[in-house]
Amino acid sequence: MAGNHSNTAAEGKGKRHRVEGPQKHIVAYIFSILLTVLAFATVAAGEINSTFTYILLVVMAALQVFVQMSFWMHMKDRGHLLPIIGIFFGVFVVFTCVVMAEFWVWW
Amino acid sequence: MSAHSHVDGQLPHEPEKATLEGRNKVLAFWLFLGGETVLFGTLFSVYLALRGQVLEGNPSANELFDLPLVAAATFILLTSSLTSVFAIQAMHRNNVKSMINWLIVTVALGLGFLVLEVYEFIHYLHMGHGFTTSAFSSSFYTLVGFHGAHVILGVVWISLLIGQVYKKGLNTVTAPKIYVAGLYWHFVDVVWVFIFTVVYLMGKVG
Repeated sequence: MAGNHSNTAAEGKGKRHRVEGPQKHIVAYIFSILLTVLAFATVAAGEINSTFTYILLVVMAALQVFVQMSFWMHMKDRGHLLPIIGIFFGVFVVFTCVVMAEFWVWW
Repeated sequence: MSAHSHVDGQLPHEPEKATLEGRNKVLAFWLFLGGETVLFGTLFSVYLALRGQVLEGNPSANELFDLPLVAAATFILLTSSLTSVFAIQAMHRNNVKSMINWLIVTVALGLGFLVLEVYEFIHYLHMGHGFTTSAFSSSFYTLVGFHGAHVILGVVWISLLIGQVYKKGLNTVTAPKIYVAGLYWHFVDVVWVFIFTVVYLMGKVG
């Protein structure tokens, strides 16, 4: 197995090819699970005031999405500038829609 | 046209990016995901605007949602995201058998998620929460149902890809398809993170 990889690496036009292990994905998974458990536990406990809970939930969701997009969707890897621009444009439109719905419709 | 296999019959390290066709496919898929973000964004904003609109006597979000069930669904979908990462890693190691196995696990977990969602919807229906019950129920079913439809599409798509790879093997034509399906699956998982936060947890809070 290992010999196989060094062969491919050698012929890869001088680029260094490193086969990544599963470790960092397992770390990302455990981190996601922890954030999820924390989010559910916050709501299940139900003692904290609701504005604070809202903010905490949104922060934890944003963190989790960041972890998943950067590690699992490879957005932290090289050559992902256009995908990042595309997704951020989508997020901008979403943010506009949500603000419109929350603050405009009923005022 | 494009090289279907490497010079000495061995696939390049990242077969999904080995051809221009493959790279374009990945880029175009990201643009599609940008559009999907907007689609779900509009559904989320409609839900946020209408979630308080419950008629007298109909179940509200707080009475309806069952957190353990949602937690189980979340756990299943998160795990399936991890197994699809393992499938892509197996593809990068050129290990077709392991890749197919991880994809099968991913599809199975996706089906498990769908079973839970169908059970959940039937349960809500029995509680008097139909599609046309209130503005809240319509926007809830549209948002969560759209996500469920995406999971169904993912399950069918990945199943077909498994069949294709089984028949034609892994090459620079099939590899981008697997990679892109993996991106799609993570995206569906990312949308679910927002659904369980905004719909279920925030529904329980206030």
